[in-house]
Amino acid sequence: MTIWTPTDDGQADLTSHDTFVHGAPHNTFQRMRREDPLSWTDWDAGEGFWSVTRHEDILALNRQTDLLSSARGIRMEDQTYEEYLARRTFQETDPPEHTQTRMKVAKAFSPKVIAGFEQQIRDLCDEILEEALAEDSFDATKRIARELPMRMLGRIIGTPDEDLPWLVSKGDALIANTDPDFTDHVLDKMTTDEYRMMPFNSPAGAELYDYAKKLMADKAARGDTEGVLHLILQPGPDGSTISETEFRNFFCLLVAAGNDTTRYSIAAGIQAMAHQPELLGQMQAGEIWDTAPDEIIRWATPALYFRRTAIRDFEMHGKTVRAGDKVLYWFSSGNRDETAFDQPFRVDLGRKPNKHLSFGQGGPHLCLGMHLARLEVRVLFQELAKRLAAIEPAGPHKFLRSNFVGGIKELPVRIRRA
Amino acid sequence: MKATWILPDGQEISAEVPAGHHLMEAGVNAGVPGIIGECGGTLSCATCHVYVDAAWAEAAGAPEDFEDAMLDATEAPRLDRSRLSCQLVMGPALDGIVLRVPEV
Repeated sequence: MTIWTPTDDGQADLTSHDTFVHGAPHNTFQRMRREDPLSWTDWDAGEGFWSVTRHEDILALNRQTDLLSSARGIRMEDQTYEEYLARRTFQETDPPEHTQTRMKVAKAFSPKVIAGFEQQIRDLCDEILEEALAEDSFDATKRIARELPMRMLGRIIGTPDEDLPWLVSKGDALIANTDPDFTDHVLDKMTTDEYRMMPFNSPAGAELYDYAKKLMADKAARGDTEGVLHLILQPGPDGSTISETEFRNFFCLLVAAGNDTTRYSIAAGIQAMAHQPELLGQMQAGEIWDTAPDEIIRWATPALYFRRTAIRDFEMHGKTVRAGDKVLYWFSSGNRDETAFDQPFRVDLGRKPNKHLSFGQGGPHLCLGMHLARLEVRVLFQELAKRLAAIEPAGPHKFLRSNFVGGIKELPVRIRRA
Repeated sequence: MKATWILPDGQEISAEVPAGHHLMEAGVNAGVPGIIGECGGTLSCATCHVYVDAAWAEAAGAPEDFEDAMLDATEAPRLDRSRLSCQLVMGPALDGIVLRVPEV
């Protein structure tokens, strides 16, 4: 069975969210890698941009923060300076400012601290899977993939379980702000000007912020100084603290970015299991757990791209990128680059080395939550494989309408329990 | 110039490292297990953690503030001579340096 075949004609419009409802346009990326690895796209809704599609080029550029800055926005869309200031998080800063903010929270996401969550995650998986697998066929994104990161988020930021569905629906409205299934404020379909000073141009940002303020007040009243939200408010080595706006944006980032990326990694892994039947047996044999999470996360590539802005002119592949030009690193393309991965369109749970770019490897903005993501993915699939005798598709799966977040939003599967 | 990594099982890996190269990069290029360098040497991941051999501690010097903070986020325990090897740059003072790779 073919695991998944791209259907684009090789000339897909990367600026169109509709392009991505069939999955990332990998025929287009393959052509770009081969013929035009630094490719210019004109755009009628904003300034045009460069696309970097080869694995080696993304790696080479990603660490050069003195050449390509995050501090002018990290998505394709243009931002005014005013909007940038209102909406930025430390994702939209460069070293050394970025490093200073990141330091404050790095420890909360360190491998040591994250390893301590394993049993908790296993218990959550047990609950989630026993509920989901009570039925023979179901939507695996909704019943499994969405549930684990949502419930873990509650543990990480210290919110009561009953608040989680609300929080996650707001996070979805933020990050999937181009998919009408997730928001009433579809970014490219209506004027969201009213919300342009809010994270992700979305009114959900304001609601999340009110929630965060109340949460912090409740925690303060209880004398609770645990957790990452407390850490980010602490002064840095030079005594500086983050502003209220930045705190709001950080909270939104945790709820949105940390949540749906793990969801779509799990969904992609289940999609692979349903289409590549040998994966279940390999998981049950159990020798692949050191490598399987990264392969599943490569296959998923939930962050399709991040954008940088050139600080000065530079030459690459015979072209000149001018200062101020937007440059997109298409991780989605890099993760299918045939020069970096043998058979990139197959899931090989034992793949080693696996220099995928899903976490933004090679640069300072490397995913803060990557150890948590790997752990959640490993434990979920360990617990899932243990319970299954077979899994197959029960209908076509559907991708998000977004050129920024790659994810399977509907994944009908049929299962037989072990 | 030369650097040697001693793995947790005692195995040694040595490599020629040109002056000015970071020892994380050199370790990745030499295929030293446990030296990953996922953030490309930008102080965001702590996956190039090493213990500098006692004889080389003085030459290697002490970590600066950012590195110091990231050393609190390593997978293996932080010890007195813990460093992130992306912050160690090969030069005459470090020619021959011996680094122990933590067990994880």
